[in-house]
Amino acid sequence: MLRIENLKKVFGRTVALDGLNMTVEQGALYGFVGPNGAGKTTTIKTIIGLLAPDEGRVLVNDIDVAREPGRVMARIGYVPDAFGVYDNLKVSEYMEFFASCYGLTGLKARKRGQMLLEQVGLDDKADFYVEGLSRGMQQRLCLARALIHNPPVLIMDEPTAGLDPRTRYEFKEILKELQNQGKTILISSHILPELAEICTDIGVVDQGRMVFEGTMEEILAQINVASPLLISVSGSQKEALAILRDHPEVETITIRDEDIVVGFSGDKRDEGALLKQLVDAGVKVYGFVRERGNLESVFMQITDHSDEEVVLIHED
Amino acid sequence: MRINPIWRQESRAGARSFKLPLIILGFNSVLAVVALLYMYSMIAQVRLTAEIQYTSFLGLYSFVATMEFVLLLFIIPGLTAGAISGERERQTLDLMLTTKLKPSDIVLGKLAQGLSTVFLLIVSSFPILGLVFIYGGVTVADVGLLLLCYVVTAVLLGSAGLFCSAAMRRSTMATVAAYLVVVILNAGTLVVNYLAVGLGAITSSGGSAAGWPMYLLLWNPAATFQSLLSSQMGSESGLAPLFPQLERIAEMGLIGRYWRPASMAVQLLTAAAFLWGAVRKTKPAKQNGRRR
Repeated sequence: MLRIENLKKVFGRTVALDGLNMTVEQGALYGFVGPNGAGKTTTIKTIIGLLAPDEGRVLVNDIDVAREPGRVMARIGYVPDAFGVYDNLKVSEYMEFFASCYGLTGLKARKRGQMLLEQVGLDDKADFYVEGLSRGMQQRLCLARALIHNPPVLIMDEPTAGLDPRTRYEFKEILKELQNQGKTILISSHILPELAEICTDIGVVDQGRMVFEGTMEEILAQINVASPLLISVSGSQKEALAILRDHPEVETITIRDEDIVVGFSGDKRDEGALLKQLVDAGVKVYGFVRERGNLESVFMQITDHSDEEVVLIHED
Repeated sequence: MRINPIWRQESRAGARSFKLPLIILGFNSVLAVVALLYMYSMIAQVRLTAEIQYTSFLGLYSFVATMEFVLLLFIIPGLTAGAISGERERQTLDLMLTTKLKPSDIVLGKLAQGLSTVFLLIVSSFPILGLVFIYGGVTVADVGLLLLCYVVTAVLLGSAGLFCSAAMRRSTMATVAAYLVVVILNAGTLVVNYLAVGLGAITSSGGSAAGWPMYLLLWNPAATFQSLLSSQMGSESGLAPLFPQLERIAEMGLIGRYWRPASMAVQLLTAAAFLWGAVRKTKPAKQNGRRR
């Protein structure tokens, strides 16, 4: 549905995109995450044709955005992170205006506008002036506007930024409904737990490159690996620490109260081997478990640029 | 017929704004006060001298027409200079560019909206200009030509305003640039002519001919307006003291003979160039030299 191939974009001396690749399958709800300045907005602006790439290409339904922007625009709805409204324009007129921008006029445009306002819960605000709506309502109106031409692909750049929890929840429900209708949705957001809840796929971009891309199942497997091991031993920790320091899979060691928190890159088999090694060495292990991780911890791990080394930290 | 969505939306929102009636009120109030004061002074003169000079009533037409032209010079750039930069500042331009609208639709819609307001001003001022019909001496064709001159001026300055608006990121800068273009077109070309005449007088004994700088006046809407007014009212009317060169245009051959249509054509072509530039500046960044 949406494919990005080797996208490169440079602004002056800043490399915004450095050979970014991305694939969003039809019907997916794709969470696009990355730290500030990673290239998310540049990628999104390139997809919707507002920026031209220096290299690479963006394909929507196999149509090249650079070659046939008009055809692509008809297939994409765009919700930006920040947008303005027009003075002296009512909600229904705002919808009609954008409908006419897509060539929809008259009764057809009005009906489509009404239907979408109902879908986003703004049907009772049709005669209100847009500038008088709350931020959350304006954002929902912007979503309705993006859907006015019934696009199969929806691109959203930080759509829930600055919204209160209730409005975010409502927004999330609307997105689920849209996905059920078969829309392909690309959503960039910093609110990772929210993405983890609704997304089918995740792409993590960092320094203009895709550093992780996969389904939620794949990222959940990654979460298990990313989370530290919590080892509880009775008596002296000396022997255990000596073994851990020399273990090739151990990346970090932190002492938290009576527990040893170990950054461990190995899989379940390696975990078993480590436990056996500790027990065989006479360490009295009474707790050995992976700490429960989340999307945020994976994100932090993937986008962490500090050199990792074996360290020993005592947490008070 | 498909109506430009931008024009339709702007007209709807503009009609609700207090700005439009305020502009119409201000514009017509100034014209009405000027016209009535002029009439009052003429009648006072008649009372004093007991002589009625009907030619002086024609001065009313010349005076009001000139006043209206000067007001338009001030109003038109202000109407279009913030059109595109305003959308950019409001963050609505990106939304429009991601629809099926082309940048040319946006620019032409904005121009149409600016011109609609100008036409409204011109048409609403007709009753004041029509005062001259009480005394006669001016034909409907004369007024029609004057209207044409106003329209050409509106298209040129409106397009210049749009170009500045598309080229500048901030509306304030765009407005300053648009008024600068008005000054360059109306005063700059004239100053170059004065300098050329002055230099000609120094370098050659009788040199009063401005030479090539005379052709710069083809871009000057005020020169076109004055040329038209002079042909209708005589060479003493309106802004004539500012344009002594216009008395010599007959010496310029074919262009001199068709000065007014030629200058209007040049100004419309310049407007087209400004619009083309505005469309280019409104377009999203294009790819230069694709490499794969």
